[in-house]
Amino acid sequence: MSRIIVITSGKGGVGKTTVTANLGAAIANLGRSVALVDADFGLRNLDLLLGLENRVVFTAVDAIAGECRLQQALVKDKRQGGLALLPAAQNRNKEAVTAQQMKELSLELSEKYDYVIVDSPAGIEVGFQNAITAAQEAIIVTTPEVAAVRDADRVVGLLEANGIKRIHLIVNRMKAEMVQLNEMMSVEDILEILAVSLIGIIPDDQRVVVSSNRGEPLILADKVSLPGMAFNNIARRLEGDKVRFLDLMASQDNLINRFRRWFR
Amino acid sequence: MSSDSAQQSPLSDFSSTPSSVDEDLQVYLKPEGEKIRLSLPRSTQRSGSTDWSEVWQQLKHRLNGSDRSWQPGTTVHLSAKDRLLDGRQLQAIADALEEVQLQLGRIDTSRRQTAVAAATAGYSVEQHSPIAPLSTSTSEAAPQWSQPLYLQTNVRSGVDVRHSGTVIILGDLNPGGTVIAAGDILIWGRLRGIAHAGAQGNRGCRIMALRMEPTQLRIADAVAKAPETPPAQVDPEVAYIAPQGIRLTKGIDFFKTHSFSAEEGGWTDL
Ligand SMILES: Nc1ncnc2c1ncn2[C@@H]1O[C@H](COP(=O)(O)OP(=O)(O)O)[C@@H](O)[C@H]1O
Ligand SMILES: [Mg+2]
Repeated sequence: MSRIIVITSGKGGVGKTTVTANLGAAIANLGRSVALVDADFGLRNLDLLLGLENRVVFTAVDAIAGECRLQQALVKDKRQGGLALLPAAQNRNKEAVTAQQMKELSLELSEKYDYVIVDSPAGIEVGFQNAITAAQEAIIVTTPEVAAVRDADRVVGLLEANGIKRIHLIVNRMKAEMVQLNEMMSVEDILEILAVSLIGIIPDDQRVVVSSNRGEPLILADKVSLPGMAFNNIARRLEGDKVRFLDLMASQDNLINRFRRWFR
Repeated sequence: MSSDSAQQSPLSDFSSTPSSVDEDLQVYLKPEGEKIRLSLPRSTQRSGSTDWSEVWQQLKHRLNGSDRSWQPGTTVHLSAKDRLLDGRQLQAIADALEEVQLQLGRIDTSRRQTAVAAATAGYSVEQHSPIAPLSTSTSEAAPQWSQPLYLQTNVRSGVDVRHSGTVIILGDLNPGGTVIAAGDILIWGRLRGIAHAGAQGNRGCRIMALRMEPTQLRIADAVAKAPETPPAQVDPEVAYIAPQGIRLTKGIDFFKTHSFSAEEGGWTDL
């Protein structure tokens, strides 16, 4: 059974696209086939993060309009056999696609791929509605900020109303030292509000930005970094493995137990 | 908790918040004899799809959170009011009802298109004129007092629960969420959002929570906001109107130590 998972957040700029690209690569690295769908029409950049920009010929909109076959629009990653991208159109607005079309497209992909992962736009408007329509599962991405968590909570409510019951949480851009100084929400604080299951914590790390700029997912690096490991662990947890949470504070001396609990 | 009782208006003057628990603004589910009435909010001027998705979220929230104390297979009469519903939306409602073992029976509407869509889908339909709504129960004259609304769910950010009676939530009221009740509000969980009890002016109403960490509390016309650094109180608490304004106290002793005084316009220590 293949899985259709939407990556969403409510708030923009929290790392949805970063998560989609890196998680997709990490799952493919485990030997699964993965189709990534860029549902952020008008603002496409998933192709950039994957380093596939120069190979985009057709987009999802072309496939929907019947101007090409779905297979032609898919960009296959040469570095990783199992990974493919369905790019969004950059020049068309989000009204170009209906929820029904998005649903059919995702279902068609799910016949050939183990995972269909949909990167959604920010907000809760039409583009978001389209992105979630086919999904059976969702990964909520939030940063440890009050506004991001507030929007994530709104989105969880909307997902529940749309019958999506399996909701996982990724806390992105965690700064252990700030939590320790009580200057940032802890993972525990976030879970207390959102009440969904935690699937990963990704540290705030320059290497995430560097890998995005180079178009090289973290998992492909010669020496895998801490954030790269975090993505690999999320991929394994999705596959059902019990993987302990990384100790992002290993380098810090003064451990706060309340925070540490989540990293054991 | 700092508090200030906003304009000391007389008890009978409900003018500041008369329509906040208006049944026309929310999705309602209530027993009506052998049947259950599902009443949708009147349509707004806003764009169709956003409006529908909000109604849909409310509907699912109410159905998922309900205690399901009805008999499986109970028939539901849908009051669609002036709302335009197409066949797909009617089907979605019927499916959602079926998930909680309810059966969509009749559809009451004031819109011809909705009536046609409903009849085409095979439901019995009652079309009535838009000026005189069929459900006489929503009489405008006297403020209405409904059965308690019991919801076993979290009230998340962006969700509004309004009810013309008491509201009981088994779950958290999250920041960004709102509960407005004509009666009491009981949150069996964390209260972190906004709660307004006695919204039609009843100063005797109370707000109770296992963990009181509100953004703002209101009772009748009094308002209290959370202090900058809330004291770490772990006991269940009750918020009530004292003659000086909204006060908080431990829940366990409240009813032994306080009584409501109409002359004082609030609860006083015994
Ligand atoms: N863990 C992280 N550490 C450092 N920077 C990050 C991290 N995650 C995301 N970013 C940066 O944050 C910005 C927004 O990320 P993006 O994935 O585009 O967000 P979204 O898709 O939610 O709008 C990008 O510049 C990205 O490189
Ligand atoms: Mg993005």
